[in-house]
Amino acid sequence: MTKTEALNSNSVQKLVSLFRFSRSSRGGMHKKDGINAVFFLTPTVIIFLTFILFPVVFSFYLSFHEWNMFSNEATFVGFDNYTKMFQSEEFWSVLKNTGIFTFGTVPLNMALSLVVAIALNKKIKGKKFLRTAFFAPVIISPVAAAVIWRWIYDPNYGLLNYGISFLGVGSVNWLNDPTAAMFALIIMSVWKTFGINMVLFSAGLQGIPETYYEAAKIDGAGKWAQFWKITLPLLAPTTFFIMIMSMISSFQVFDLVYVLTSGGPLGSTKVLVFFVYEYAFKFFEMGYASAAAYVLFVILIVLTMIQVRYMKNRIQGSF
Amino acid sequence: MKKLIILIIVSIIFINSCGGDEKNDDKKTVIFWHSFVSSTVPALNALIEDFEKTHPDINIEAQYIPSGDALVQKLITSIQSETAPDISWLHAHFMEDLVQADAIYKMEKFIKGPNGISEADLNDIYPALLQYASWRGTLYSMPMEATNLALLYNKDMFRAAGLDPERPPQNWDELVEYSKKLTFDKDGDGKNEQTGLFLPVYPAAGPLSGWMVWQFHPYLWQAGGYKINLAQTEVIYNDEAGIKALRLWKKIYHDLDLNVFTSDYDVAFASRNLAMAMDGPWNLPRYEEILTGMDWAFAPLPSGPEKKATIVGGEYLAIFKQSEHPEAAWAFIKWIIQPETQAKWAMTSGYLPIRRAVKEVPEFKQYLEDNPNFKVFIDQMEFGQAERPIDYGGMEIMRHIADAIEKSTVGNQDVQEALNESAKLSNKVLNEANQKHK
Repeated sequence: MTKTEALNSNSVQKLVSLFRFSRSSRGGMHKKDGINAVFFLTPTVIIFLTFILFPVVFSFYLSFHEWNMFSNEATFVGFDNYTKMFQSEEFWSVLKNTGIFTFGTVPLNMALSLVVAIALNKKIKGKKFLRTAFFAPVIISPVAAAVIWRWIYDPNYGLLNYGISFLGVGSVNWLNDPTAAMFALIIMSVWKTFGINMVLFSAGLQGIPETYYEAAKIDGAGKWAQFWKITLPLLAPTTFFIMIMSMISSFQVFDLVYVLTSGGPLGSTKVLVFFVYEYAFKFFEMGYASAAAYVLFVILIVLTMIQVRYMKNRIQGSF
Repeated sequence: MKKLIILIIVSIIFINSCGGDEKNDDKKTVIFWHSFVSSTVPALNALIEDFEKTHPDINIEAQYIPSGDALVQKLITSIQSETAPDISWLHAHFMEDLVQADAIYKMEKFIKGPNGISEADLNDIYPALLQYASWRGTLYSMPMEATNLALLYNKDMFRAAGLDPERPPQNWDELVEYSKKLTFDKDGDGKNEQTGLFLPVYPAAGPLSGWMVWQFHPYLWQAGGYKINLAQTEVIYNDEAGIKALRLWKKIYHDLDLNVFTSDYDVAFASRNLAMAMDGPWNLPRYEEILTGMDWAFAPLPSGPEKKATIVGGEYLAIFKQSEHPEAAWAFIKWIIQPETQAKWAMTSGYLPIRRAVKEVPEFKQYLEDNPNFKVFIDQMEFGQAERPIDYGGMEIMRHIADAIEKSTVGNQDVQEALNESAKLSNKVLNEANQKHK
């Protein structure tokens, strides 16, 4: 089996190929198929147009306007929203917070999910239970999760402070100290989201044929060598996919922040989407909020493009 | 094909049955949006029932909409899609947008109309409420009920600390002194088992920041200050009075280690971990139910260096231009603001009446005698103030004030510096907004 074949058997690859348009394997299409296709596609297309394409285009239009949602007309203001934003201190601090959050969450998240996935890929007892347990936070509602974590982080009665009191560290005011609050947010976010990445990594690991490891063993490779030379390179497409997706979702974080810290203390956990929300739904400055949303969009596109560029040469036969 | 035809027929029947729900034509239906909490709903239903008895031609349909952002968002979509209610509950801070969108009637149209009310009636309503109900001096809504802030305190804890339980703090010095005396760490582990006073310091960017600034107002006024000048050209909350008020908060916040006080104040009060807190009459019925076996009372807010003051709030009813029966909607509002209705509404809901004449209603007089806590709030209405209006950019200015409070308490920044920084940003908002609306 060649390397390329191994990659193609990767489940992530299958996932990606679902989105590719491919010709019907049965050859030519019948007329009835066409009618059926239209029938089945119409609801999706309508939903896509109304709830995805229209808002995307409309908010781009709005970012050059001033509109408070109540009135029927929006005033054209050119690039005013963008210049005002780039001149405001608040915007840069929000951007910085988002950056800290993303670069704190993504590596931690990926490392943890990879370790857990590898551990659970072994033949151990209670594997299914553990996998479910690690995945559970993903499906818990963020509000409920935040309530639990508020208790864990409580400076007086919290579990975390109780735990670290044995280490001889003084009590930390997790949610009311600007440095600690970001840290607290990152920990909770990793706990909440690493389960889904763990599942993706598990799928990736199962796609690596056992024969490679057997061959490596015969050649005398140890566990570490196997990990660095076989597991990691063959997981690269999965890793890449997870990295892009985690980065995007970290940049878009909102609900956890809203319920855990409300952007406080002192705005230290106020992230970009929180900023968008505040201007859109509290101050009704839809134009300004849309401009911020588009900045986020551009940042995500650029970051993703850089990653695709960089990874393209390293992963053959994918993307 | 057969199936498709059946599907179409079924959907036509379904759509028709949803749309045409026509009752007898002579009865006018008035849709009324409100955000009353569930404990107030029985009182509201009784109120509506009374109204419908005396006005058989009008049918009031009360619909609950969650308060705050949800109400605003729902109003926006309903106005855009021409499905606005006849009457809705409003808060003063989004009146500006509704007026700008030409969505609500001026009250003058009804007050001076055939079914109007007299000048004397209008003047009987507390001026602070009429100020909130107006935008730029024009009345766009009518108050439905009033609230204000008083001091909730635990008399047992006063006794235990050697304080007179019948003499709550009368001024700022006593507030500082008492709150310190009422705070203690029994077992000496560095954590307070009992906290003397709760100050509502919340993240400035969060959903409770408006609530924090609202409660800061009385202290600003007590020191003789205001948020903004009357011409609305400049914010003035960073003057001497503002500095004094915020210094008081900062001192109490640090004296009592409120940065590690993480419980909700009402829970802490009920579980006997908190001695004093600011609170409103809306919680009175609930407290009477749950605070049993505890000697507690409400007292007026302590007076400041300049004067006595508390903040008045309320909910306001506006009539929407999309309404098909504006006159019927007005009949409901007119009926609600009558002294007799107000008396009954206050006694059943726990809200304060909007006008002075209510105090002359016999049942209400008796009620006040039986409910001294409620009377504290009624008496406070005499020195209750309304926030000075900010026609444009009010929400952003509120955020900047919240920032100053958070920075000087949680962030321990110098009060004057925090207020000056905040005022600079507020003035920028104000200038830009005023320029735009010239």
